[in-house]
Amino acid sequence: MSIETLVEGVTTGRLSRRGFLQGAVALGLSMSGAVALLEACTSSGTPGTSKADLTFVVWSYGVETIKDNIKKLEAKVSGLHVNFQDFAWTNYHDTMVARFAAKTPTDVCYGSDHWLSEWAAAGWLSPLEQKYPDLNGYTSDYFPYVIQGMTYQGKNYGIPYYADTWAFLYNEDHLKKAGISQPPTTWAELTQQSQQIKAKGIANYPVILLFAQDDPGSIEVWTSMVFSLTDGHLFDDSLNPVFNRPGSAAAKTIDWISGALTSKILDPASLTSQEIPVVKAMESGAHTFTILETYNQAELNKSGSGPFSGKFKMAPMPGDTHNTVGYVRFYAVTDQLTKRDSSVVKFGDDFLQYFGGKPDGAISPVVKRWAVENGLGFGWKSLWDDADVRKAFSTWGDPDMLRQNQQLARSKEGLTKYYPSWDVFTRSELQKAYLKQVSTTAALTAMADKWNSLKKG
Amino acid sequence: MSAHIGSRAFWRQAGLWAATAVMLLFILGPILWMLDSSFQGENELLTRPSHVVPQQPTIANFDYIFTGTVPQGQNVRGTLRSRISQEAREIPAALENSAIIALVVALVNVALGALAAYTFARVKFRGKSLVFNFLLGTRLLPAIAVAIPYYAIVSALGLLDSYLGLILVYLTFSLPFTIWFLRDYIMSLPIDIEEAAQIDGCGRLQLFTRIVLPLAAPGLAAAGAFAFMLSYNEFLFALLLTQTIGSQTLPVILSSVATNPDASLALIATSVVLAMVPPLIFAIAFQRFLTRGLVAALGKS
Amino acid sequence: MAELRAGEARRPSRRRSETATRGESGYAYLTLLPVLLIMAAFSLYPIGYSVYLSLHKEVLTDPLNNPFVGFQNFDNVLHSYYLTSSLVSTAAFMVMAVPGVMIFGLLAALLLNEAFAGARILRVAILLPWAMPAVVSGIVWRWLLNGDYGVLNSALYQLGIIHDYIPWLSQPALARVGLAVAHVWREGPLAAIFLLAGLQTIPADLYSAAAVDGAGRLAAFRRITMPLLRPTIVLVLIYETIVAATTFDLVYVMTGGGPADATSLISWFAYAEVFKFLDLGTGAALAFLIALVLLGVIVLYLRVLRSEERR
Repeated sequence: MSIETLVEGVTTGRLSRRGFLQGAVALGLSMSGAVALLEACTSSGTPGTSKADLTFVVWSYGVETIKDNIKKLEAKVSGLHVNFQDFAWTNYHDTMVARFAAKTPTDVCYGSDHWLSEWAAAGWLSPLEQKYPDLNGYTSDYFPYVIQGMTYQGKNYGIPYYADTWAFLYNEDHLKKAGISQPPTTWAELTQQSQQIKAKGIANYPVILLFAQDDPGSIEVWTSMVFSLTDGHLFDDSLNPVFNRPGSAAAKTIDWISGALTSKILDPASLTSQEIPVVKAMESGAHTFTILETYNQAELNKSGSGPFSGKFKMAPMPGDTHNTVGYVRFYAVTDQLTKRDSSVVKFGDDFLQYFGGKPDGAISPVVKRWAVENGLGFGWKSLWDDADVRKAFSTWGDPDMLRQNQQLARSKEGLTKYYPSWDVFTRSELQKAYLKQVSTTAALTAMADKWNSLKKG
Repeated sequence: MSAHIGSRAFWRQAGLWAATAVMLLFILGPILWMLDSSFQGENELLTRPSHVVPQQPTIANFDYIFTGTVPQGQNVRGTLRSRISQEAREIPAALENSAIIALVVALVNVALGALAAYTFARVKFRGKSLVFNFLLGTRLLPAIAVAIPYYAIVSALGLLDSYLGLILVYLTFSLPFTIWFLRDYIMSLPIDIEEAAQIDGCGRLQLFTRIVLPLAAPGLAAAGAFAFMLSYNEFLFALLLTQTIGSQTLPVILSSVATNPDASLALIATSVVLAMVPPLIFAIAFQRFLTRGLVAALGKS
Repeated sequence: MAELRAGEARRPSRRRSETATRGESGYAYLTLLPVLLIMAAFSLYPIGYSVYLSLHKEVLTDPLNNPFVGFQNFDNVLHSYYLTSSLVSTAAFMVMAVPGVMIFGLLAALLLNEAFAGARILRVAILLPWAMPAVVSGIVWRWLLNGDYGVLNSALYQLGIIHDYIPWLSQPALARVGLAVAHVWREGPLAAIFLLAGLQTIPADLYSAAAVDGAGRLAAFRRITMPLLRPTIVLVLIYETIVAATTFDLVYVMTGGGPADATSLISWFAYAEVFKFLDLGTGAALAFLIALVLLGVIVLYLRVLRSEERR
């Protein structure tokens, strides 16, 4: 339903107040919300039209590549036209909330496992089995954390755009200069090595982490640190918090972070650093250790990135188990798309197969392109054996290390429809704990209370 | 006033200049740094300490915005993560949108606002206080509370993503202040001329156009300038009610470029510099009018 | 003589302003019609709509459940985890921002009022920050205050004032200061312009008379300038209070509400309720509460101003 229909509906009395509210409400209280309000001027959202216009919304990464992929698809499938929109990653969630609530025409969009439950519960996304059962048949070739990240109430909601892990990265040159031969394998070792590097004047703050309150990755970084320890869990199987138990992995992680801030080995700017600033800072050689998405190793080692290009290596997450967070970002089918003409739905199938499925029988060239050109990980197990992929990965990383990290990766815990709200609360609560404004116990208790109250509904 | 070195007058002058210098540093410092940064490449901007004098000056950033030529080479390209902010290239178009919308709002404000203000100032009619207070009262609700409904109204009128939609909304914001301000201003004008003209048989409208408008010129200029600036700077509703570069205004594009971490710092600086050009022109042209108009309104009520 | 009652000296008694003729209501409403139409459309409906939202349960992840809940949403706000902390953040910010703007404005106005060449340069320069969108101020200052490559840190470091770059926006207290500074930078000029206009309405004779009486500059400032400037000061003060209390754009661009929610002002949470917690009812209720408080401030403003006018 388009905005015009909504408003027309209520003024003629056909549409109930509630229906109108659902549609028109939550529009733009802020920048991201406003940016989201794309109208149906150009794209045809009304059912029954013969034009096949698919509206595809993404966050702004690799936009030129996406546009090129779209061009290739349109050349291949006649009659299909893709309207493309992109928004900044840090605003993406809020932007899409406004879009969906206003029923601004959106057919396919990026999704992340953080928000799947929330968006599915709101009725904005539709499970694949509804209109695209064939796309539902690839799950046997996905890693477990990929399947988990795209499943809500037992149903699969997406095709992986890419799937990756959070990796512990370090500057090899810094270590060499400090006379350290091996990267740290425990957090205590990390502290020790950092102190050495700092003492030698190689880096003022050897560690930097992306803990900005507005970056969705910040919760993933913290979670990966928790996972790396023994009993590294946030919730039990019934989704009750276990992180607030005394001596929990979460408590140890918070203590390490606040300790690192106090002893000045962790850059205090971490609290306001999003992903890109962290990447830029690492590239300039200001820091030695960080935790970033794996594809950023490709970015860091790209030629021309800075004085240390090629010198960034990956090691397993320090700790006991070396587990880390694996996440999946995927193409989601909106509820709106499933309600359109069957001819449009068919075009949707072409689109999804091309971008993330198996058009012409083999794994999508788009997936492979992201891997080879940008170093993005993928959800397909079998693609790891592809020679081109291995070759491309070895120019910036160690394919075996990458594979190992994939196997050590686990999906985030607690992915429910209230996880995003809990996430917002938790990010700021964690910062208070890092800054020692509240004690670790108090912060974890607050986080548990918040979770329980959200769960009760 | 001649100032001998050491005299009280001299120290006073010195003190004034010192205070002015500090103030100018605070006001212009950030702006000058943006200007400085727009001629540096990304990598150079990340150095510690910062280079006040660019060591590898370049105009590649400006070149990109106007011609789309992607900066080459390590120093300028720096760390553009697989995407250069395409939005930066929309700044010139956004500048145009902003200027046009703001100009129309200013003109309509002066025309409708002056007419209404004259009525409030000189005409006695029933319900005058009520209407006047209503007009002022409409400005009480903060933007947050009205954002959603405003969207619904503009959408219902089919004016999303159009100049007219934004113009209407900005008129809503600016008219109350304009009317209030001009009412006070007109009330401060000497009444005798009008009374004389009335006796001569001049009608209300003629009084307004022939006598009051010319007299009120400085006040009108000030009111117009305020309305212009209010529209030019407005951000929230511009963001809400526009979707494509056909009508997106400068604050929208600029914030989009700058809050997108994928955009390089150098491009952000360049965008900010370009955004400052119209205000600079405005500041030079209107600084005299503003204070004069204000003085008149404030001093005579 | 310099002790002349300021009110009398400055303002002539309010003369009859209306040039009334009978039966002009028709003309009046005709000339007001376009304005009234626009204003009515954009104010009556929004208020009604907001009220509706605030009285119902509207949570997006529970779309089929929208009962009338009375004042439940308002209750949610009053018992929310963020109410106290965001009010504290807002108060802390305002304590720095409002006096900052007033002091900056007054100093600038005094400087601008002087007849020397510097005043002219300052007059043009001072309009620049105000003539730019608020988001630009946020962007620029965020960059200036950056803890890794910000030029402010660079300057302080090279001058030897600090030994290490300060991560301004990563420390709660300093982040608030940074926010306030960006706010003053942007809002100060408007205050300065208004205060300057106020200064310029003070008749020069008063100062000459005071000088003849042997009163020094400081005495003249205290006895003439400040009292006569009072109405303008009150006007600017109240306007700036409202602006500071509803600051949102700056927070969004500069700090995103962090670190640790230190800069999450009350208007930030009105946004968060809708976009992050997907609770439109509570968001509307909060916006309403903010609006009511502002209404109180504005009524106060109108009262004070009216009483000033009557003097």
